[in-house]
Amino acid sequence: MKAIRNIQYVAVVFFSLLLGTSCSGLLDEPLENQQIAEGTDYTQTQNMVLMLHGAYNQFYDFGWEVYPVISVRGDDINAGGLGDQPLLADADRFQYDRNFWALNNSWTSLYSDLIYWQGAIEEIQKYQEAGANATSAQQYIAEIKVMQGFNFLQLARLWGRILIPPSSQPRDLFNEELVSFEGVMQHVSALMDEAIPLLPTVRPNQRSDVRGGVTRFTALAIKAMANLELKNYPAVAEATGQVINSGLFRLEPDFYHLFKLRGKLNDENLLEFQYSDYGTGSGASNNFLWDFFGPTSWTPARNGASGGWGFWEPSMKYIRFMLDRGDRERLETTVIFTPDGIADLRDAYPNLPNWISNVTPNGDVFNNSVRTKFYSGKHYWPSNMLTQGRTAYGNNKNLTCIRYAEVLLMHAEALTNGATSSVMTADAAVNEVRSRAGLGALSGVTLNQVLDEKLAEFAAEWGIRFFDAVRHDRTTELSYEGRTYDPASDRYFPYPLAQQDILPQLRDEN
Amino acid sequence: MRKLFTCCLVSLCMWTAVAHAQQNRVSGKVTDALTAGALPGVTVMVKGGTTATQTDAEGNYSIEAAGTDVLVFRSLGYALQEILVANQTIVNAVMEGEGTELEEVVVVGYGTQRQRDLTTAVTTIRADDIAKTPTTNAMQSLQGRVAGVQIVSNGAPGASPTVRLRGIGSFEGNSAPLYVVDGMFFDNIDFLNPNDIETINVLKDASAAAIYGVRAGNGVILIETKSGAYNKPGEIVYDGYYGIQNPQNVLKMANAQQFVQYIRETESPSDIALVDNAIQRYGRSRIDPNLPDVNTDWYREIMSPTPIQNHNLSFNGGGESTRYSIGGSYFNQEGLLNVQRNDYRRMNFRVKVDSKVKEWLNVGGNFNVSTARQYNGENTAWFRAYFAVPILPIYDEGNTDAYPVKYANARDLEYRSSQNPFFPLEYIDNRNHVAKVLGNFHAEINLWEDKLKYRAQYNYGLSFINTRRVDFEHHDGLTQHQSAIRRRNTSDYDQVWDNFLTYDDSFGKHKLNVVAGQSYRSEYSELLYARGTLINPAPSRAAEQYWYLANAREFDVSGIGDANDSDYSSINANLQFLSFFGRAAYNYDDRYLLYATVRRDGNNKFQKKWGNFATVGAGWVLSEEDFFDIEGINFLKLRASWGQLGNDAIRPSVGLPTVEENNGAIDGVRIIGRRLNPTFDLITQWETTVERNFGLDAQFLNNRLSLEADYFVRDTRNLAVSIIPPMFASSERRSVGEIRNKGLELNLNWRDNLSEDFSYNIGGNIATLNNQVLGLGGADGLNAGSAEFRQRSIIGQPYQAFFGYEVAGVFDTEQQIASMYDEDFIVAEEIVPGDLIFKDQNGDRIIDDRDRVVLGSYLPDFTWGANLGFRYKKLEFAALLQGQMGYHLLNRKRGEMIFTNDTNIDADLATNLWGEGRPSAKNYPSASGLRRDWNQSMSSYFVEEGSYFRLQNVRLSYSLLGREINGIAWPETRLTLTAERPLTVFKYNGFNPEVADGVDREVYPIPAIYTLGITIKL
Repeated sequence: MKAIRNIQYVAVVFFSLLLGTSCSGLLDEPLENQQIAEGTDYTQTQNMVLMLHGAYNQFYDFGWEVYPVISVRGDDINAGGLGDQPLLADADRFQYDRNFWALNNSWTSLYSDLIYWQGAIEEIQKYQEAGANATSAQQYIAEIKVMQGFNFLQLARLWGRILIPPSSQPRDLFNEELVSFEGVMQHVSALMDEAIPLLPTVRPNQRSDVRGGVTRFTALAIKAMANLELKNYPAVAEATGQVINSGLFRLEPDFYHLFKLRGKLNDENLLEFQYSDYGTGSGASNNFLWDFFGPTSWTPARNGASGGWGFWEPSMKYIRFMLDRGDRERLETTVIFTPDGIADLRDAYPNLPNWISNVTPNGDVFNNSVRTKFYSGKHYWPSNMLTQGRTAYGNNKNLTCIRYAEVLLMHAEALTNGATSSVMTADAAVNEVRSRAGLGALSGVTLNQVLDEKLAEFAAEWGIRFFDAVRHDRTTELSYEGRTYDPASDRYFPYPLAQQDILPQLRDEN
Repeated sequence: MRKLFTCCLVSLCMWTAVAHAQQNRVSGKVTDALTAGALPGVTVMVKGGTTATQTDAEGNYSIEAAGTDVLVFRSLGYALQEILVANQTIVNAVMEGEGTELEEVVVVGYGTQRQRDLTTAVTTIRADDIAKTPTTNAMQSLQGRVAGVQIVSNGAPGASPTVRLRGIGSFEGNSAPLYVVDGMFFDNIDFLNPNDIETINVLKDASAAAIYGVRAGNGVILIETKSGAYNKPGEIVYDGYYGIQNPQNVLKMANAQQFVQYIRETESPSDIALVDNAIQRYGRSRIDPNLPDVNTDWYREIMSPTPIQNHNLSFNGGGESTRYSIGGSYFNQEGLLNVQRNDYRRMNFRVKVDSKVKEWLNVGGNFNVSTARQYNGENTAWFRAYFAVPILPIYDEGNTDAYPVKYANARDLEYRSSQNPFFPLEYIDNRNHVAKVLGNFHAEINLWEDKLKYRAQYNYGLSFINTRRVDFEHHDGLTQHQSAIRRRNTSDYDQVWDNFLTYDDSFGKHKLNVVAGQSYRSEYSELLYARGTLINPAPSRAAEQYWYLANAREFDVSGIGDANDSDYSSINANLQFLSFFGRAAYNYDDRYLLYATVRRDGNNKFQKKWGNFATVGAGWVLSEEDFFDIEGINFLKLRASWGQLGNDAIRPSVGLPTVEENNGAIDGVRIIGRRLNPTFDLITQWETTVERNFGLDAQFLNNRLSLEADYFVRDTRNLAVSIIPPMFASSERRSVGEIRNKGLELNLNWRDNLSEDFSYNIGGNIATLNNQVLGLGGADGLNAGSAEFRQRSIIGQPYQAFFGYEVAGVFDTEQQIASMYDEDFIVAEEIVPGDLIFKDQNGDRIIDDRDRVVLGSYLPDFTWGANLGFRYKKLEFAALLQGQMGYHLLNRKRGEMIFTNDTNIDADLATNLWGEGRPSAKNYPSASGLRRDWNQSMSSYFVEEGSYFRLQNVRLSYSLLGREINGIAWPETRLTLTAERPLTVFKYNGFNPEVADGVDREVYPIPAIYTLGITIKL
């Protein structure tokens, strides 16, 4: 019995010990692999550049739907992809659905960038306070501001009145007022003015740290675009004049190859979204989802290359416009024909030139598709340019965004709207672009001629045509092939329903 | 494996047959445990022998038996008793009532209670019922048997069913209950052999589960594995079955003729051209020259009936101070898919030993090792079989570039995708290796006169899941596909260490049971995954020995990691939990019952560290009152309980902004960058369920009729809900949600024996469920599902309800259209006859997002089960029916039309389409309408009633107890024929109406299973 009592004693003590000393310190164990921002050691100044890299990665990484939402509404391009994404086809016809998922995705994609970038700026400032090189810090911030300017520009073009995030904290937007379209453009112009003096005075492909990144001239181009929207033509002429005057940029002589391998980090580019397969046949790659533009049926020159979804169909109106102009090089680059498309064209053009073909210069054969009659050549990447082993359509292709040609034609647009420039005349600017396309020189160019040139040059790219037509009240052009554009209601998309649900400002606006 | 078992059995039989011993006369008296009265008519027999007798009117018997024999006492309504003679001449037996189950001891967590003392809702399922269902996971056998437990079957080999206790109480996880297996916590019991389970106790209400505090939010299921018994001679049990799984209710797809007719009706030249391409490529049908000479029934081609089998061997018994149970089992289930490896094989070994080491010390251990190999079928094959056109053959010799097999590629006909389901079947191999080990050690010290006991138990759960996916290099005729290997290994190390004191005492009419204790738990997991491509030598099924990442030429940097999966399905974790708990149960004169528990839980997962959970319950046994004297009512108890539960089965929350890495290309170099994520999860409250439960237990008519009824209201507050921040493509979780589940559960059973030879039972259960979202932290609703097939949790509506337009018919005429909608709207939307009529809910003559309504929920309003059984002599028959009603499914297969409109459609749709002068009885649009975006909006066209009725289980068994063949006593043997799910009746246009999340896209069909089983006891 004594033994039992001893055991009892021991057990009870043991038990109470457990209760008493139970190590609640265990409950303070941190979660695995979560880097708390507060824990950042800002004196590790070599890490500051990671915030800049992160900003570029963020800029380059966006969903396929953002591009067509920005670009689909002009008379240069149709959604294509017949039967798929009907709400995109509706948007193409100016029938907007506020519940269209791609609208919300585009909105949040562009805004998420802005918020991440604001966070990057705040972090870089902390590194600077902790002793990082101030010049680098300020340049990084300036680069990020240029990216911000680009996104603000797109957001305002799509929705008109928008919100400008005051901080890196999304919920601060609850207290913000909507800013008018003009207000946003002024904000962009001012952001660029802040950034310009801090940025390197080189071509993007001349940068050694972030090759292909933002430079002073990217900022000037975006400033010109914002002021174009404000119809502040002297400011446009001034900004574009600076780019031209730098003498750093030149048009790629071969228009076709500007959108192929040779176009990557080309001397013509002021801004491009960079992607890569890193030269390897498989494994890691960072790419835009080019499948959107790819053919549903083709016979690629390199056996085994994949096609795509059959979207992004250059309009018949554009093709006829180009045929009428005799603008062969740019037509062949911009439009890829299918046999059915050629047959349709022949109905309209009995004497269709025989160089119209469904075989590309790189030997890829585009077959008929139930979804589209034509494909976008600027978004086409020849199968034999794929790195051996890669099969995804467009793999390794960059997405060109702002080209020197646009700077030249914006310059001409400003001058034909009454601005003056000592750098270059409107005629010279337009003719430089025309001569690359193998077209004869014009003299005494008018605004109409400039806009036609822009249509010919930039079709299928970034909605440039739509915003031109809206800006200069040439919206009757947009009512084509069964569409009716109503200037009163169709310029801007409705705010996405999901955002209206969250932000009362947007609800009141609609 | 089977041969080995058979071999052992035969030799064992022979051995027993020759063993003879001295016979003596043994006599005794048999009494009822409850009344202590004599029991007449009890069958007494010598186990494994041929002699038997019955007790007389005074309960006395006398029989010839050897000193080493075991006597078996058997009487209807009482539990079978086995007593070792042990050289005694007088063996008395006390029979425990079985019919009422009131005296049965129920495991309630850190202890036990008598069924009649419960104030909570607990349902117990015993081994007999579990064994009726041929399945990999014992939970499947609960389908239709327990009111308030919804089981959604899963047909894939080795896959577990979805289990929901009283609805959905969390926005996260799959609402899976906590499984406590002999004291250890699991979120799945797929590693357990159903035959090793003694009981499954479903703690349905919060009061019953509250002792498990923070893990109990989704309900608790206690599982006890089989133990030996003290003073019971050893027995050897073989139990096994072999059966066939047969695909059921195979969805009828449009055949070539129906498909081509539908395509012609679309009047779409491009699609008709595709049919012509097929005619050109594969020739014309001689029967109908408008058709290609191909008519493929894809479902028939990709699947076949396959076998399922299970074999168990166990050794149980015990002596004076030690009891043991040792066993092993082999389970094998083949998948239905052809070509691809698709099966599940599991081997289990277990040992469970308890020993009274000293009078005051009881020590035990339990060890369960489960290893499984699973080849997973590619579910995309099911999806492709739905949409692959019937005018595509399986093979196409003309697809010359294709290698190694010349499978037909629909893209050769200019269809958008390759369609042929044999591509994924042939060129993908998925293998999982799963090993799970449960180790348990416990010691119980009797501190004071059997009244105060201290128990320590330590449990360790190890789980290793290694998955490997191999993509074979192939060419589909148009596109070259690289070879790849992906491996992903997860290891989980979980431990639970409990220490608690139990005090059990009675003073006169007062009975008291108090438990107080402490528990420490940790969950640690590791993850490693990598993907390599361009495998050299290229993997082939013939040379599996080369399927190694080491042979990969390239690695995807983003496909390698050890922190968390890209989809966060698994995450490295180091979680710590500390708890204190207590329970008190008080019983006054078996009339008044009081029950309370309290638990305090701490963790490192959330910002809220500590939480307290409590419950109180009370019961009143009216039938024990003196004034109670109602003829025919033997027992009547009213009970009520209130309890709180926590739920920590949600992802951890970090609570602060984090720095994340991203990557991208700068000048062809992969650059790592960082970004500041300003959004973060912040869990400041425990998800807390508060449940009120009112119940009634009754027994009528000599305990032949029993009734259980429960009504509950289960409110869960502080739910972690994703809040969508403005403008930001992310979401952050906050503790702001609230959801309610309420319902009524009834269980009624009748059992009776008409004669010694014939007894029968009949019963049924029903449960209702009303699920309602009550709060979302300010938002009116929270989106779920995809943009095209919207689901939305809306305040006042069920969780993730289907949300869209209500179809009111199909337009027959232009006038009809004009009468409903605005003129401009009709023009803009190009609405024509043959289009769906969407109900204009707000009457503005325009259909837009404002006209969307809730179209249904995937949670059934009503589930039921009914059982019927009889025994005639040695023949037993049992049948179970069950059904689920009042829920909806999204026919996502039909919805695929939105993305790819050139696919096949099911026969019901093809033959009921609207046509000119041919109204659609089923409100289907016209052939061309199917492809127009108007009809593709989310609407009740895609949302169908899922209700079904099923003959769940039919079982016929014949017992060879006490048989003698050629003078040799045949061991106790039972032959069983089982039909599992032989018949399911439903209206839904799909393979089966059981879809866990309600979205039927590529769900594995659930086969019927027919088995032949045998049980032999030695």
